[in-house]
Formats: sequence, structure tokens, C-alpha cells
Amino acid sequence: MNTMLTKWTAGAAAALVLTGGAVFAADKTLDIGVSDALTGGAAVYGLPQANAVKMAAAEINAAGGIAVGGDTYMLNVIAYDDKANPTEASNAVRKLIDRDGVKFILGFCCSGATGAVASFIENEDAVMLVGNAAERSITTREIPNLVRTRPPADYTGAAAGTFVADKGHKRVAVLGALDVGFYASYVDAFEVELNKAGGEIISREAFSLKDRDMSPQLTKIREQQPDAILVVGYVEPAAFVYRQAVELGIDVPRYGFTSGSEEQFLRVASSEQMEGVWDLRPTELTLLSASDNGIAYHKNYSDTYGIAPSPSSPYAYDQTYALKDAIEAAGTVDDTQAVAAALRELAVPDEVVMQYLPVDGTMFDVNGQAYTSNGAFQWQSGNWVFVQDLPSDAAAYSAFLSTID
Amino acid sequence: MIEILQQIVNGVAIGGVYVLIALGLTTVFGILGIAHFAHGSVSMFGGYLTFFLVSGMGFPLLLAILVALLTGLVIGMAIEFLAYRPVRNANHINAFIVALGLTMMVEGLNLEFFGHEQVVIPTDLGRVFNIGGVTLPELRLYVILAAALLILAMTIFVEKTKTGQAIRAVAENRDAAILMGVNVNTIPLVVFAISTALGVCAGVMVGSLFAIAPGIGEGLVVKGFAVLILGGLGSIPGAVVGGLVLGITEALAAGFISSAYKDVIAFVVMITVLLVRPQGLMGKA
Amino acid sequence: MKPGLKLLVAGAALAFFVALPQLITVKYYLHLSVLALVWVIAAQGQNLIQGYTGYVSIVQAGFMGIGAYSTALMGLHFDLPVWLTILLAPCVTAIFALATGYPSLRVKGHYFAIVTLAFNMVIFIVLMNFHQLTQGEAGITGIPKPGSRDGWINFRDREVYYYFVLIVAVAMTALAWLIVRSRVGQTLMSIRQNEDLVGAIGIAAWKYKLFAFVVSAMFAGLAGALYAHYQSFINPEIFGVAQSLDAILAVIVGGSGTIAGPVIGAFVVVFLPEYLRFADSFRLILYGLLLVLATIFMPRGIVGTLAVVWSKLERRG
Repeated sequence: MNTMLTKWTAGAAAALVLTGGAVFAADKTLDIGVSDALTGGAAVYGLPQANAVKMAAAEINAAGGIAVGGDTYMLNVIAYDDKANPTEASNAVRKLIDRDGVKFILGFCCSGATGAVASFIENEDAVMLVGNAAERSITTREIPNLVRTRPPADYTGAAAGTFVADKGHKRVAVLGALDVGFYASYVDAFEVELNKAGGEIISREAFSLKDRDMSPQLTKIREQQPDAILVVGYVEPAAFVYRQAVELGIDVPRYGFTSGSEEQFLRVASSEQMEGVWDLRPTELTLLSASDNGIAYHKNYSDTYGIAPSPSSPYAYDQTYALKDAIEAAGTVDDTQAVAAALRELAVPDEVVMQYLPVDGTMFDVNGQAYTSNGAFQWQSGNWVFVQDLPSDAAAYSAFLSTID
Repeated sequence: MIEILQQIVNGVAIGGVYVLIALGLTTVFGILGIAHFAHGSVSMFGGYLTFFLVSGMGFPLLLAILVALLTGLVIGMAIEFLAYRPVRNANHINAFIVALGLTMMVEGLNLEFFGHEQVVIPTDLGRVFNIGGVTLPELRLYVILAAALLILAMTIFVEKTKTGQAIRAVAENRDAAILMGVNVNTIPLVVFAISTALGVCAGVMVGSLFAIAPGIGEGLVVKGFAVLILGGLGSIPGAVVGGLVLGITEALAAGFISSAYKDVIAFVVMITVLLVRPQGLMGKA
Repeated sequence: MKPGLKLLVAGAALAFFVALPQLITVKYYLHLSVLALVWVIAAQGQNLIQGYTGYVSIVQAGFMGIGAYSTALMGLHFDLPVWLTILLAPCVTAIFALATGYPSLRVKGHYFAIVTLAFNMVIFIVLMNFHQLTQGEAGITGIPKPGSRDGWINFRDREVYYYFVLIVAVAMTALAWLIVRSRVGQTLMSIRQNEDLVGAIGIAAWKYKLFAFVVSAMFAGLAGALYAHYQSFINPEIFGVAQSLDAILAVIVGGSGTIAGPVIGAFVVVFLPEYLRFADSFRLILYGLLLVLATIFMPRGIVGTLAVVWSKLERRG
């Protein structure tokens, strides 16, 4: 793959598409902000999200913009890099609100930076739409002007625990980015369900974002002779776990929670090394599981940016359409309280890519949390193949979420 | 028992990478007194370049490595001449700040040229050897062997060649070396060229065995400095021993104590060594 | 520069900082100014050990982290008033600094720098992994502001918090000035000049170094505490090695071993990346390049360079 070349052509293509929308620009422009990791280690998640928002905005503009009262608004995206760093994210959002006069802020791939902004957003005249950041506490405080498209990790972890227990595994070894809160909470919820079925987690080994040599941890796990291993963590290190597990001769079933694309895994491991690996996660974008919207999204994104979209990037794409519908329902671009309230009342928009499970008919529950279905994906001959839905009870989890503070 | 052996084998591979990074750092430090913080990012540039030549331009791997090595030589000399030489006679901290600035520049350039996704240099070395229950992937074996070869070559160069002797003379006593007619203007260039070439080799190893991604180089350079402390600043045998000790300590710590705190344990070992033997394991008292 | 003139410059600078919130039209820059003032405190501390004693410490952000987490956790678990926890935070930091400074100050130069860097990484890893205490990467949210919501001073107002941090920053700058002028400060500078000589005349240099290290950490702890209550949110990410390097930069860029240097340097470190945003993805490269060029051509920092220019002007006039 020619990274340098694709980068330039992708940039040019993106510029074409983005300006293409603006040609039809009517009377008014609505600035929307994005705060996300555009550089650094978390850019793997943040940059595709920012791209997805820009793409959605270009589509909305091409389709005639947002209609409010008699006016039509064209969207203009202002994206700032927060490097997934809390201080930078606070700065980025402060600047969007204070200096650029932006009222609607999207993006937010990563929990630390998102938590920092969530801690003050309630006092601001703005609406915050969170994407990929999976830390549960972001939606436990019922912040009225915050919604999130991605479900918390433990919602998925519980479903995964049931699935693995049903497979008959009793002794499961965990290897994951356990210093990251939402991965740890996935494992905790997983453990509860596994214990119910008489299974147990026999060890919890950790790796950090920059670790690529997992052989010490895997050697320890190999010695413990588990029935299965569970890998939770960012794609880039996780791919090495799968490869090195094979190299060390570990041949028990491998389950994971990583949300990586085929391309991301194949950079590291061969398809044979990946064969049979399960990914238990929200039914995010994969080519073979995608709906019509998903397939169109995948194609547009690839054409525009010259690279396949990350599986979690539609969380940000969907934010943009949710915002559009909410603004139109509220009939205002100035009254953020009305727009925030409209978001809470919103039905799932037609254009979204992820498969949301509405609670009481709305996309976001009282906590501002959306739920997607969870799915079991398996690596089969070079692709993630959707095998089955994981039993997930959005309404019950939503009620549970409301009890936490 | 097999578990311990396996962990030691695990540690030797990553230790070999640490050794190569540390060798580059230690020669620069021993001779010029510069804490060359940008070394990790420059090394990763070498790895990225190799990846680009192989995957983007279709070069055979060895040719790509050769081109990257030569580029590394040039870059090393350029860094010395353009960035460090002007602050040669200033306070040490100034060279350190220059190093920080260089790190940002090189990290930025890497990001600009090669993107934010991690890259792995493709090799078709997929076999795994099993020796009495201890597994050793082919690629790891070659990395260990290559590291050993480079260490040997470096030692011969420093011990046996005229340039090597001049380098040692400057390290021992700069003023005396000048009196003896050693050209102190070319020595730094040579040192940086070699150090960067070693770094490029480390970058290629990291890139093929593991991966190159933003921030990886900075992490490695910190480990490299830890190796220097362990082994003794400026000491070549110290870098070799220190690198292996650090790699194996990390593997054993992760395997037998705690994987979450393996780096903490490695640093505690480093600080303990420093307290007991401030000159490092192989340093002169 | 004559003492009278220095006082005049200091007075003018103070007047400027007092008037600053009225001069700023976009509130975002007020936010950055609060952050910059927090960095002034941390940089003044860094300057004591780095600029005056000549020991480059790479753990200032780690100590800010200890201060920030101790004020937040004491408030959370012991229900102590915010004022008290802010005052206690530097003391907790001092304990950690004593424990780490004693061993690490046995070594000099680059060894010391690298050992302190290792300490910063250890602090970071522990903050990330010790979930029960620190809540890991998710961080601690909802850290309260000083004062009650309906007290006569509302610290939720950014302008009020600005003046609050300004008062502390001025006080800490004055404290740094007093230390530097004292006999202790003179000894620290002799250590920077020639440590062996200081030892030779029978002064226990290690006590003075340890003092400088611990006081510098207390400055950082206080800065961290003020940061925590300002942002209401902390997580380990902001207390990593990269931020410690920022503290070093602030001292060097401003002018190492001067009292005005860290003040200017802190504002440069906070504001410069903002003004480089026009460069977009080349920002990092440009920032690095500026740093290299500044070190080569202005090795004594902004204050040092201005002083040279000033003395030349004086001689001419």
C-alpha cells in the first residue's frame, strides 16, 4: 500500500467532496464543532470520526441542508485536535464555544478527553454529542445537554459473558488494556455472567497502548491452561495478542472486544493466524454485516478518504444525522435547550449506519444514551463474519444506568 | 522451568532491540555528552522508510534496509551538523532542549509522511521453532541474531579500527585527544552517522517484529536511557548487558509479578542499581 | 538593569495581569490565561531546581499530578473543605518529593534527569492502574470549586478564578524571589557553579539540593491542586512526561535562573501552540523547529536575550 500517495489523493478527493457541497450554499451557515483526536495514538479512532462528521455534513448540505422555520442552513464543520488529552479537549471545546460561537459539538472518541468536557458541559450553552468513548460514567449523571451514540462497554460485556459461558468455557484467561476504565468494566460485566454459569476468570493480564510484545503475558496464560482467552483492548496491540498466541502454540478459542477492521488486523497477523477469532461487540460496521446504509457509508467513505472507514466511525456519522433531525424538530439553531430536549425525544433517523435499539421509541434514553445491538463476529477466511446477535436488553440496561450516579 | 526459559527467550528479543537503541545513545552520550532524545523518533523514521520502500515501492527487503541505512547515515550527520554543533559549547541543557525540539519535528514528519496507523514491515518469515517446549518464532530468532551481529561489528569497529580508536580517545579525554591530533570536528559526524544507522536497524527490527506507530519511538528512547543508567553511561558493554537485563526483567516481571506494573518494576530495578552502583553495572567507578 | 527599574517593570507587569481580563474580549483566552498562570507556579518551582541549582528534573508534571489527586481525593473521601485540601496538597507532594529526591540526588547531571523521568513514568503508571484510588484513565470528575455556590465570591466565574490564581501565582513568584535572594538561594547558585567547591568548604550540599527539589515539588503540587479545582476534572494523561518537558521548556524559553523567565515562559508554552494552529498538521514540526532555532540563537531565553539587548542600549546611551 502506498501510504504517501493515498494520503495526497485522499486529501484532494476530500476537498472536492467537501467544497462540492458548499457550491449549493444557500442563505445561512450553521457552524458545528468537532473535538477529537486527530493526531497521536488515539487518532486511529478520532480521525475517522472527524472524517465521518465532515462526510455527513457534506451529504446533508448536498441534500439541501437543514430546514429550520423558513431558513435553510448549510453545515460548516470546525474540527479541532484534542489528542485524546483532557486539557486539550477542554481547550478545544472552550474555543469552539467561546471564540467560534459553536453550539453543537460532536466527535469525542476517547474517554479521558470526553470525561473532561462532560464535567463542565452542563453549564454551557451548547449540546455535546459523544461518539466512540465507551466509559460508562459519561452518561450516568443525566447531563441534559449530552447524548452518546455508543453504548457503554459493560452493556456489551455482559452479553459477551453469556455468549462465552454458553459455549461451555469454564476457565477464561483475560488479557487486556485493563488500565482503561471501559475495558475493565467490560471484563467485570463479562465476569458476572460467566460466574453465573459456573465459570471463572483465572487471570487478568494487562498491556498498555504502546505494548506490542505480549509474549510474557501469553506465556503466563499458556502455563495456566485456560479453556479460552478473552482479549479486550485497542486494535493495534490486540492484533499482536492474536498473532503471538498462535506463535506460542496456544490453541484454545480466542474471544475479543477490539472493534478492528480486517485491514487493521491483517497488517499484523496473517488470515490463518486470525482464523476463528471471535469479536463480541456492538454491531458496528463490517462489510458483511452492514445494512444498505452501512454499505453505502463504507463506499462513500472509502471513495472520499482513500482508506476504509474504521468500524466505530459511524458513531460520529450518526451523531450528525441525529443532530440534524433534532434541530429540525426543535425548529431552532439558537435554543440549545430545545435541541437537547429534542434529541431525547428523537426517533432513530433513517440515515444512520449503526443498528440502534430504541428505548421507549427513542434513540436516546433519559440518560442520553443510545443502544446498538450487540453481535458475535467471527474471523472466517479473511473477513469478520456476523454470526449471531448477542442477547442484549437495552431497556433493562437503561433502567440500570439510571440507578447509578 | 519451561515457563522461566520461555520468559527469558521472550525477554531476549525485546532486549536486543533495547541494546541497539542504547548502543546509539551511549556512543553519542559517551563521546559528545548529549542526551539525544530524538534518537527513538529518528530510528522509527528508518523503520517507516523501510516499510515504505518495501510496501509502496516494491523494493526487496534487504535493499530497502540498505537504502534506509544509508539515509540514516546522512540524517545522523545532518542532525549533528545543523542542530547539535551550534550548541556544542553551551550548557548541556541546551542540547537537551534541541533534542526535544528535534523529537517533535521528527515525530511530526513521520506523522505527515506515513500517517497515524501503525505499520508492520512485511516479511514472509512465519515459521515457529519449538525447542523442548520453548517456542521461538523464526523472525524473533533472526532479530536476535542480527542484533548480536551488529553488536559484534560495533565492538570490532571501536576496538580495532583507527576511527574507532580516535572515538575512544575522545571519550576518554577530549583535550588529550585534540593534542594527539584527533579531528574533533569529524568525530561527532562519524559518531552520529553510526549511532543513527544502529537506530535504523532497531527501527527495522521493531517494525518487522512488532510495529511502528506514533509515540513508539519516544517510548523506546526512554527505555534506552534506562538501559544506559543500568549499564553505565557511555559504556558499550554496559549497553549490551543493560539492554538484556531490562528486556528479561520486564518479561519475568510481567510473567511472574504483574503485567500492569512491569514497567514500574523495571524502573525500580534501575533505580536500585543506581543506588547500589551509581556508575551502572559495567561503568567504571 | 537598576533595582528601581526592575521594580517598575514588575509593577507594570502586575498592572497588566490585573487588567488582563478586561482587555480580553474572547473568553477563551481568559481560560488559557488561567492555565498559563497555573503553569507560572509550576515553572517557578522548576526554575528553583533547574535554573538556580542546575539539576534538570523531569518530574514536575508528575508532582502536579500528586498535588491534583491529593486535593481531589482528600475532598472526596474525608470531606475536607476545598481551602484545606489545596493547602495540604503541596505538603503531600513534599512527602513524595522527599522520598524520591533523597535517592535520586545522589547522582548528578544526566543521571538525575533520567531517574526523575523514570519517577514521572512510575507516577503515571500508578495513576493509570491503581483504579481503587484514582479511577484510572476515566479520571475524577466533579472536583468542587472553592467556596459555596452562593458565597460572596463565586469561584465558578472564570474571571474570579483568574484573580484567585493570579494572587497565588504572584505570591509564589515573590516566595521564589525571597528564596533566591536568601543565603540558601546563594548556596544553591554556588552548587550550580561548582558543586565540588561547595562541598569542599564544608557545606552539606545534599541538604540544599534536597531543599530545592522538595520546594520545587511543592510549587508543582500547588499548581496541580489549582488546576484540578479549575478544570473540575483530572486524569493521568495531563501529568505525563510530555507535560514535564513543557515545564522545562517554560524555564528555558523564558530565561533560566531569572525570576521573570518562568512567567514569560509559562505563557509562551500555553499560548504558542494556540497560535501555531494555522499550520494545522505541520504544527508539531513548526513547534519543534522554533524550539531548536530559539535554543541555538537565544540560548539564554527571552529574559536573558532582553537583558543583553538592554545592557547594550545602556552602554550606548
